[in-house]
Amino acid sequence: MTAPTDRPTDVQSAISAFIETRTRTTPEPDVDIFAAGGLSSLFAMELVVHLEKTFGIAISGADMRLDNFRTVDSMVGLVTRLGGRVDA
Amino acid sequence: MPDRLAAEITELVGDQADGWDRSGLIPHELLRKMSGRGLLCAQVPEEYGGLGLNSAQGGELTARAGSLCSSLRSVMTSQGMAAWALQRLGDAEQRSGLLGGLVRGRLAAVGFSEADAGSDVTAMRTTIRRDGGDVVVDGVKTWITAARYADELVIFGRYEDGGAVVAIPADTPGVTIEPVPDPLGCRAAGHSHIRLDEVRVPARRLLDGAGMPLPLLITLVLAYGRMSVGWGCVGILRGCLAAAGAHARSRRQFGKPLGEHQLVGRHLAGLLVSEQIATRACEHASALWDANAPDAVTATVLAKHVGATQAAQGAAAAVQILGSAGADNSSLVARAYRDAKLMEIIEGSNELCQVMLAEHVLSRS
Repeated sequence: MTAPTDRPTDVQSAISAFIETRTRTTPEPDVDIFAAGGLSSLFAMELVVHLEKTFGIAISGADMRLDNFRTVDSMVGLVTRLGGRVDA
Repeated sequence: MPDRLAAEITELVGDQADGWDRSGLIPHELLRKMSGRGLLCAQVPEEYGGLGLNSAQGGELTARAGSLCSSLRSVMTSQGMAAWALQRLGDAEQRSGLLGGLVRGRLAAVGFSEADAGSDVTAMRTTIRRDGGDVVVDGVKTWITAARYADELVIFGRYEDGGAVVAIPADTPGVTIEPVPDPLGCRAAGHSHIRLDEVRVPARRLLDGAGMPLPLLITLVLAYGRMSVGWGCVGILRGCLAAAGAHARSRRQFGKPLGEHQLVGRHLAGLLVSEQIATRACEHASALWDANAPDAVTATVLAKHVGATQAAQGAAAAVQILGSAGADNSSLVARAYRDAKLMEIIEGSNELCQVMLAEHVLSRS
């Protein structure tokens, strides 16, 4: 079962939910989640792996930039650009 | 296939591991041959010419190598980390060229640590800078596993506001490789210091991801290394278990086999428990890795930490069981004793692993 990628709100809520379970905070879509500190490199890696698995994408090479992971919005952008799908 | 590959490694090593430890050297031709067979980084996907094993299969193969010779297994860890870095951070050309080379006879080492930047990677001083169509690298890396054998040096350094990784041919002008003369363990793993003086390579050797925070880049690449070290420690424990079991069964004192003396039996039981704990932790992390689960990242740190501490404890017990029979400095259990201690230090020391695991607990609480 896959949903089309032109529904960024689904992507957004899936990413937000993951961050919420991992950090016990609800992220605003445009807020830099790494700026406040306290988030480890391990967590950043978990985010990368989570996005790959959840949306069926492969993040490599030039897409491996922290800027792509700083905010929920930037992650939605990355997932959409790589053709990711909810329930992939 | 993994069973056949493990048998192949067993045959290639034969009875040579003690001698390699004594001389501090694995024959270069043997390593090249293993590279050409894809055995040094067996998880490289088939599309790049690799054997395409998953983490669980690759782990079992790593454990086999580790049960025979931790120096060889360390070379595999380095080659595998280099391959993983190229696979994760390289573009299509770098993957087919540089990564493909690592399963076609070339050897690689990965350079993180420096004199003032061991556990604290943020203190790294090596710099990588663009200069027209080239990048220029300056710095000194210390204790780089397999650098003595390497054709390709995968070097981490500061780049603009973050970090970067560049693949440098070891014969580039300005590169000096100086072997560590007398390491405690993994004595034939080719540990060396690398001096990089104005080393200039084409910018196409700079991996993508340049500018990412250094800790993130390092975490990404070390994840593979930690998994590999964890499985290598499982191998150390299996080697020790086999040697200690055989000795305790055949050696007689006070009119009965050593193993029937209860205090010796307790050591045997402890070794088995250690081997099983380490195996389960690694199997769990590899299963998560193969499922591409986010929890794999933390599970990898845990598996490395469990593997290293159990191996250090188990190897000490094995030496105790073998007594003078295991006291020759290059015998299997003596090597295991020295090699396992090193495993508590590299790829994230015991203490650093504990800090990461504690942070993980706090972030979920």
